[in-house]
Amino acid sequence: MHRLPKAILTVFAAFTCLANTTGRAQARQPWTVDNTPEPAVIRVAIRSENPSGEADPRGRIMYVQTVPFIQYCEDVLPNEWMPSWHIEALKAGAMAVKMFAWYHHLHPITIDGFTFDVDNTVNFQTFRYLSRQPDTNRAILAIRPYAYVKPDGEIVELNYRAGIRDDPNWQYRNAQKMAQWGSQYWAERGRNWLQILQFYYVDRILRQYRVR
Amino acid sequence: MPPFSLWCPILAVTAALVVVQPPAPSPGQTPMPVHPHTAQGGANAGTARGTTPNVATPGQAAADRPLPDRFGTGRPFSPYVPWPTSRLRVRVIDGRTLEPLPGAEVVLIETEQRLTTGPDGFTPWFDAPVIRNPRYRPMVAELHGQLGVIAYKNGYRDSIHLGIRMHEGIPTETTVWMYKIGPQDRRIEPVLYQEPYHHIWLVELADKFRSRTQPGEGPERP
Repeated sequence: MHRLPKAILTVFAAFTCLANTTGRAQARQPWTVDNTPEPAVIRVAIRSENPSGEADPRGRIMYVQTVPFIQYCEDVLPNEWMPSWHIEALKAGAMAVKMFAWYHHLHPITIDGFTFDVDNTVNFQTFRYLSRQPDTNRAILAIRPYAYVKPDGEIVELNYRAGIRDDPNWQYRNAQKMAQWGSQYWAERGRNWLQILQFYYVDRILRQYRVR
Repeated sequence: MPPFSLWCPILAVTAALVVVQPPAPSPGQTPMPVHPHTAQGGANAGTARGTTPNVATPGQAAADRPLPDRFGTGRPFSPYVPWPTSRLRVRVIDGRTLEPLPGAEVVLIETEQRLTTGPDGFTPWFDAPVIRNPRYRPMVAELHGQLGVIAYKNGYRDSIHLGIRMHEGIPTETTVWMYKIGPQDRRIEPVLYQEPYHHIWLVELADKFRSRTQPGEGPERP
């Protein structure tokens, strides 16, 4: 006699729990620049290197390194953009690198038992510890209090690709990705970093936030 | 007037001496590589488009040939002209503790300059050449030069650090890791670290020679 009501109660409880979870997920506010502080640190999965010494995008994850967030950006930018490029191209790149990392810090993943935000290869962004350069550091410092986000402030991934040299790379504008060579192309023609970002990322705005 | 039968061999021999052409490679034979300085679409394809091609005539001395503008500087390449230089400083740290190592001696391999690190582990800023690998033609010139240093310090393994990326006109920093020699170390040899090429250049390099029949991963798409 007691078994049937107990089973019904269990199913009911399960449904209630599921409904609550779904409701919470729907009700959860998106991560915006208003309700989310800039990360203090980021977890970087270090993958094994191929015999040439280059970090292998399909290599085994050896360990996860926790790096101060801005130091991570400083150690990525010279490996993604050329330090000799125009300072406005470097600033545009600094913003893309920072927002990409910020987004992935909010969306960590677990692979092979390692939970991390990004890895050190082109799967995410090329990271080499202590590879920062004076010129790229200046670019990161210049855009430090700004975020490039959706109009409602939501933090989104600013993605990018190499693109084609000496070309405006219009095709990347339609894909919401910045062309790295394109950023240099426009910077050499007098556009500033914000104009470069506006060219490639449509429907995004610049917001200022409080730096810790 | 000699008869026609006598003229024919004379004319044939004269023509053979005047018209000197390289033999075409037979099927299965690998053609001789074309010198990049003289090949159309080679050395000057990117910079001297529309100008007289830099083609050497047979017999012309190599020294008489105009030298290509290797680095896009507007000046022809010459081994006698000093390399462009840029500012460099090297930081030496302990590879395990990541603490700076003062008093380490750093030698720039290409110029044999010797420097010593200060209390913060940095060498002073110094002028270092920007040397691009001459194996590559200007059309695939590296986006950065490369240098190598060796760091020495008593009690540590020697550290050889190759491939430091150098750019004209901007200062560069690099970090050398050194590893302490412990009581367990029996075979003590130098440690090598090779900086990889910048991947922007690797993408560009692979795209330059991609064929239509075997495109591989294909050109990058958004």
